[in-house]
Amino acid sequence: MRRLSVTFQGTPLPTVHRVILLSALTDEWEPTLNFLVKLESLSEAEHLEKLISIGHLVNISACVSNSLDWHAAAIPTVSCDTTLLELNDVVRLNAKKHELIVLYRNSDMHHAIQLTNRCNSYCLMCSQPPTSHDDQWLVEEAIQVALHINDAPAAIGLSGGEPLLLGAKLRKVIDAFTLRLPMTRVDVLTNGRLLSYTTVAAELLTDLGEQVNWMVPLYGHADFLHDFVVQSPGAFEQTIGGLLTLQSYAQPVQLRIVLIEPTLRVLPELCRFIGRNLPFVWEVALMGCEPIGFALANRTTCEVDLKDWHRELVDATNALRRAHVPLVFMNAPLCSLPNSLWQYAQQSISDWKRVFAEECSTCSMKVSCSGLFAWHNNGWPPTKIKAIEEEVCA
Amino acid sequence: MLAATPQNMELNRLAELQSKFFVGNPSPQGSLRLLTSRISAKRETLTSGPSLYLIVLTLQCDHTCRYCQVSRSLESANHSIDQTTLALACDSIFESPSKSITVEFQGGDPLLRFDLLKFAIERISERNVVEKRQLRFVVASTLHQLNEEICDFFRQHQVYLSTSIDGPKELHNKNRPLLTRDSYERTVNGIRMARDLISQDAVSALMTTTLDSLAIPEAIIDEYVHLGFREIFLRQLSAYGFASRNSTSLSYSLNEFSDFYERAFNHILQLNRQGIDFREIMASIFLNKILSPFDAGFVDLQSPTGAGLAALTYNYDGFVYPSDEARMLAEMGDTSFRLGKIGEKLNVLRSSEVQHHLVRASINHLIPGCDQCAYNSYCGPDPISAKNQLGDTFAPVHLTEHCKRNMWLFDFLFAKLGQQEDWFLNLAYHWANPSPARECCSA
Repeated sequence: MRRLSVTFQGTPLPTVHRVILLSALTDEWEPTLNFLVKLESLSEAEHLEKLISIGHLVNISACVSNSLDWHAAAIPTVSCDTTLLELNDVVRLNAKKHELIVLYRNSDMHHAIQLTNRCNSYCLMCSQPPTSHDDQWLVEEAIQVALHINDAPAAIGLSGGEPLLLGAKLRKVIDAFTLRLPMTRVDVLTNGRLLSYTTVAAELLTDLGEQVNWMVPLYGHADFLHDFVVQSPGAFEQTIGGLLTLQSYAQPVQLRIVLIEPTLRVLPELCRFIGRNLPFVWEVALMGCEPIGFALANRTTCEVDLKDWHRELVDATNALRRAHVPLVFMNAPLCSLPNSLWQYAQQSISDWKRVFAEECSTCSMKVSCSGLFAWHNNGWPPTKIKAIEEEVCA
Repeated sequence: MLAATPQNMELNRLAELQSKFFVGNPSPQGSLRLLTSRISAKRETLTSGPSLYLIVLTLQCDHTCRYCQVSRSLESANHSIDQTTLALACDSIFESPSKSITVEFQGGDPLLRFDLLKFAIERISERNVVEKRQLRFVVASTLHQLNEEICDFFRQHQVYLSTSIDGPKELHNKNRPLLTRDSYERTVNGIRMARDLISQDAVSALMTTTLDSLAIPEAIIDEYVHLGFREIFLRQLSAYGFASRNSTSLSYSLNEFSDFYERAFNHILQLNRQGIDFREIMASIFLNKILSPFDAGFVDLQSPTGAGLAALTYNYDGFVYPSDEARMLAEMGDTSFRLGKIGEKLNVLRSSEVQHHLVRASINHLIPGCDQCAYNSYCGPDPISAKNQLGDTFAPVHLTEHCKRNMWLFDFLFAKLGQQEDWFLNLAYHWANPSPARECCSA
């Protein structure tokens, strides 16, 4: 998430806003939404002041650049580096911390909304270690984001923590997105465990359309393999039950496998298991590990050089192809994969997380590469980064 | 160790055995559901209601094939279905709960009674406007009587044709005699006309292996490639009908057939290596059983038998039989497999004593021999052929041609798979997926 430090004048509502231009205000204004109007001149400021006082509007704040010398106490105002904001950004204002958080930006390639920080698993490589404090306000915030988005994205991710811990409230969030953005695919990132309970499943899945896509991790083909990676006894059986529940409700499922030492070791057999037993999933995503969070603490099991595992990667993809289960590689730069697998590599790292290494500047494949997580320097890159010299058509 | 102390096993091996349901864990709620769902997916052909209906319109045929089971000459009377019975047959198809249904017209040669064929297809199509099943019509024919008018009708109703080509011209004409000695030419003309006027993939072909075929497997395959087919069904001569009467001049041992099959199979592999996508159907069916989580819908090799449960045959004689083979036995005088009369309700046919008997005789976990067989999750006994061959539906399974042939083919394919040759595995998994042309068709 992008965070901007800001200064407040007056008391802007400490909630979710849509960033807009003054010229768009009359068209877009709705009483239930909040707007942060980006002002570019003093005359615009005066105009806005008039509109607010005539209409007794309370759901509008102004946003001015640090350099705009303007003090109008009548309008709650946020000053910041406005070049860092884009129109239609959905932001949250946090007065206590003097910050503005960009929750949604349409120009990003990937969109994700965090629904909770709590989790019932404790994965070895968790990029966002769970906390236990009450964060139910995130649910309301997510619904507000759904309402404030102006330009429908192709897809939006709902993540956690574990979203299923929200119970029936998760359905409310999903409904907020699907009703407001009927053309947007909603990806729910979940371990699927609680869906093994029929009551939870019925609450969440009954009459749910085809707009939701469930992204569920599977780290082993036997209980003790998976349960070790997620550090939770019984998780495998629950996740398998959850996957079958999703199938019975005709929900689309993407399986996700994070590539760390214990999963790479069993990857071919795991993929054969998927081909035999879970052929209804629409895709399997093989994902490079994000070197942050618990992955740093469990470095010995999480740090791998994908080049050392090419045989497993090729065997695993063969198993999936033979079973007609589509696959993708995510977070895996092209130089970490054998050429034969480039066709499956996706540019998966969110824009604001993505960087390239120095070596990449001369790489001929840079434009089609996932790049690296911005924080790989504090952890490790997925392989020894190396420029690819000749352009090879994948 | 597997049963008593699986926890002492090496972990990789334990994981693999657990993932294949050989070993459980103490609280397998999810795994048990998984196993159940896998088994039910493989049984869909049996549990979703009859999906293959054979209608034998007439026994008339212009051929006098040496191995033919049943057909009668053109002049023969009383060997065609009457229109009232045919109407009953057409209507009762929709009693099946199955969403997709194949209706295959058999003979004789159904094109000799295009009037009946047209009547049936129109009647079924009309009813389907309301029923909205996924319908597929197949007509098994020599194609000698095909003409523009018939092609036009078939195109409108999306009818597929299944014909017979036994191999190169000389072999085909020898197996399938006509007074004019031009069966091959006339069938090939029919194939061309169907492709031109109906669609490129309108025709598939079957071959029957005779004594004369055994020496020339490569030439037979090449003939199919030359004629533009992308698959072949290398069928062993069945022991029904005229084939059993002429058995001395036609028959051969399983060893002879398996030598022939292996040569043909290797030749097909070689073609695929050269980039020609060509498959052998019998191997595809077996590989589907072995490698795929989905059942391709083939009604043989089910347990209990698909005869009557997944397929029904409406014969010209006014009776319903569980399979094509059963009506052939009836032609030879053994009418013991009649399920009932055409027009009787599906639930009456299914609760008939004959149907119960067939089920009892084909549950492989209860049949001595099958219960211990390593291949029993891919296979099933065939009580009807057991009766034909040995006079008893409960005849010892290991003595049946059905078991010997299948056992040999499973051994052959598992040996191939066991070599773990990457290229072959890719092909095997490719074949294991039902090819669109023959999704729910019987042999």
